[in-house]
Amino acid sequence: MPVRFLKNASELADVSWETPLPVQVANAKPVPADTLLVATTTVTADANRDLLGSTSTELPTLDGCMQYRKLVWFYFRAGADSTTYRILARATDHNGAPLGAGWQEIVPATTLPGAANSWNRIEIPATTDGYYDQYRIEVQRTSGSNYPLTSKIVGVR
Amino acid sequence: MTPKVCLVIRDFGIFNRAWTQILRNLGIDYTLCISTSTTTSATIQTPQGVFAAGSADLRGYFRQFDAVILCDHSLNLNDTARINYSVFWLSWNAPEDPAFLFFNPHFSTAITESAYNSNFPSDFPIVRPDPSDIAGTLEAADGGSATNGDPLIQTQTRARGACVLFLAENILAHVQTICNAHINNTPYYWRLNTAKHSTLASATYTHRVARNGRAGEILAVPAPPTSSEDTETYPSDCVVAYRYRNCFWLPHALARSSFSVNLWDVTVQPFVFWLLYGLQLAGVRPRYKLPVQVETDHPLQATGTGAPYNHGIATQMGILAPSWDYMRDFARRTGTAIINGVVVGTKYRDTATTYHWHSLYSTSRSQAERDAAMRVHQILVAGHREGTTPCGVHDHTIGGGRGYWGAATNTGFVRHSGMRYGAPNNVPIARGRCCVAPHVLPAGVAGADAQTVQVGDTELVEWDIPTSGTGNTFDLPMGSIHAARVIIESEIEEMLALGFPDGYCAGHRYTNTAANNSGGECYWQALKEFGFRGVRSSSNCTGINIKRVPPNRIWQGFHLVGDEAVDNCGSGAVFSRGLYLPSAPAGGDAVRFYQLDHGSDISANWATGQVAAWRAYRRLLCQTTSIWLHGTVVELSSAYFHPNQSLMCVSLADPVAPFEGWSRLGPYGTPHYNHAVELLENMDAVVRLLPEYLYWGTITDVMDHRERVMG
Repeated sequence: MPVRFLKNASELADVSWETPLPVQVANAKPVPADTLLVATTTVTADANRDLLGSTSTELPTLDGCMQYRKLVWFYFRAGADSTTYRILARATDHNGAPLGAGWQEIVPATTLPGAANSWNRIEIPATTDGYYDQYRIEVQRTSGSNYPLTSKIVGVR
Repeated sequence: MTPKVCLVIRDFGIFNRAWTQILRNLGIDYTLCISTSTTTSATIQTPQGVFAAGSADLRGYFRQFDAVILCDHSLNLNDTARINYSVFWLSWNAPEDPAFLFFNPHFSTAITESAYNSNFPSDFPIVRPDPSDIAGTLEAADGGSATNGDPLIQTQTRARGACVLFLAENILAHVQTICNAHINNTPYYWRLNTAKHSTLASATYTHRVARNGRAGEILAVPAPPTSSEDTETYPSDCVVAYRYRNCFWLPHALARSSFSVNLWDVTVQPFVFWLLYGLQLAGVRPRYKLPVQVETDHPLQATGTGAPYNHGIATQMGILAPSWDYMRDFARRTGTAIINGVVVGTKYRDTATTYHWHSLYSTSRSQAERDAAMRVHQILVAGHREGTTPCGVHDHTIGGGRGYWGAATNTGFVRHSGMRYGAPNNVPIARGRCCVAPHVLPAGVAGADAQTVQVGDTELVEWDIPTSGTGNTFDLPMGSIHAARVIIESEIEEMLALGFPDGYCAGHRYTNTAANNSGGECYWQALKEFGFRGVRSSSNCTGINIKRVPPNRIWQGFHLVGDEAVDNCGSGAVFSRGLYLPSAPAGGDAVRFYQLDHGSDISANWATGQVAAWRAYRRLLCQTTSIWLHGTVVELSSAYFHPNQSLMCVSLADPVAPFEGWSRLGPYGTPHYNHAVELLENMDAVVRLLPEYLYWGTITDVMDHRERVMG
């Protein structure tokens, strides 16, 4: 006795090579990476300005990142003006609140690599694994003029 | 019973992957076997063992298949070996043996191998080609001129034409046909030993593929001319296809070359008809028939009114109206649906008075011109509603004429009014400055204008989004889903204003994109939101050429159907001057565009030899039909032509009359030729010849089948 199923609203079909039983894929994520952020930031001389343009130091740039072993930051900088970046990270409790005030500085203020109109890539953290809940990524121009910095951050499980 | 064939090849280095692509599309199982050499001493490497070419073991192995296909051939009649190992199989004629399909087989008298010659059947009725006596053993084909290059590996140009008479079916069809070719690049047909054939045709023979119960059967011959103008005739002993017991001697099918493996750059296989015909003759019943359908771009549009035709707008519409009447009737009687890409955008963005909207409504057109255009339009609208001529959006007014994302920014874009994305609504037009995936978005960060955008698997919350303001004119960055939504809605709004009930070919939910540019993921996502199931798309899916379609041309369930143009002129030449016109510009007539003037045997004889027009006619039909058939069978893609470019060369007195050489002239004193009529009728003959393999279907059938075999 063949196994049958309702193929359309009114059509009963035998299960066969041509008409396999419909299944729904669950809990499957074939690509272990997610696009987490795409942003264009005007790089200014302001201290503590993150990629989303915020200078509120307690605000994370990305939250809920515990599932990611590493973040990969791709960026295209339109200007060569001297710039530093700083990366902060911290963990949260079961309710999403930071365990305490402030941040762990995982990359201190460092020169942002790349010339004008150049592509670049930075791994966060550079070594070992991350698994932090929150990250804050700041950029600050230290001389010259403002310029746009376009970023994409990918989370890798 | 599962259809199953065996392909015998010499070397994967020269193996044409179209063999297996076609079989997969048809749902025919296949096994690949390798011959270890070209001689009779070759062994055949099979998945179940290695067998001597003439062994009983190999014969037993072959009996599990419906057909055994010889994939190799030669351009050089002087070759002493190519498929010599197959000579034993000519004598495996029992009812339990499979059919053997020999395409463009190498069996010339230059083969000196004694095992070959002693095993070659003495009653075989086709004369073996003799490279030292070609004229006495072969018949020079298609006028006898040499091709500019190897005729067996040509793709989209340089067709060698034949009108073939299929005897059992009593059908005439134009299909590219070369039985054998030589290093002189001349194509040939075969000669028959009529005495041997007579004996075979009288001998009873039992095999499932012997449909007349005889040992020998002429399958196809060059068709006798239908006009006294056509002096290209062939002797009565000339054949192009023959069945010897269970062995089929057939013309060239697929070039011997390792063509690329991605669907987005498939090389045209112009001889594919003969593979389908051979498989059908061999009784291989495919799991799936393949749907045949065609599209047009710009179904209602005028060309220039100048030389050489000096057709006024009303005259041009007077050509299009009966042609569309014919095409609608053709669709009615065959059950196909001719998809049409209507040039939209002219209601708002472009004032060119040749386009669809302006042809109907521009006050710079006379009332008579607008009335003539409206007659064409009414056929299209009625055909859309009844399912014969479904129409969809096709926008050349954006991206510098190159369609979706045809430019980084569409300067001075003009949108529609009303609906969701029209003026005066202030709507997003570009990607937000900040876009963060919802599951990592910190609370309190997103701006007040935040909205969620999903493109494929990626979902982002955007804010600081550039918007249109309340006006209808602004510079539009084209590379975002926001731009795609504004553009597509404006196109659909125009289709509704034109009287179409939708903008996506009714239930097919499909359209052919302008310039074959489908714009990339943002446009595909937006098209899905508007209800589209697929669009026609080139492999580089934008005019600025920075995106490629997925290798299988299906993205998130959205179809990116391939494109194969079958016009009778180049787009740069604006319109076709017909089959041939001595004064035409480059690409301005069919012969020039498809490089059909082999050895100047058309151009040199045009004024003095009436046969030249028939030769051009044959070659053009063979070329365009073969490209269409390739798209249907290999790529599962769409062929298309532009009526306004291709049809202006017809007789004004009878625009849809068949081609009759110099007996019916079009404008400019050249033979009348209606590309729509001739192409559709010829493909209909092909479909009628291949009832087990092809049927007149629709783009929906094509997309259904793509999901079946490509998914």
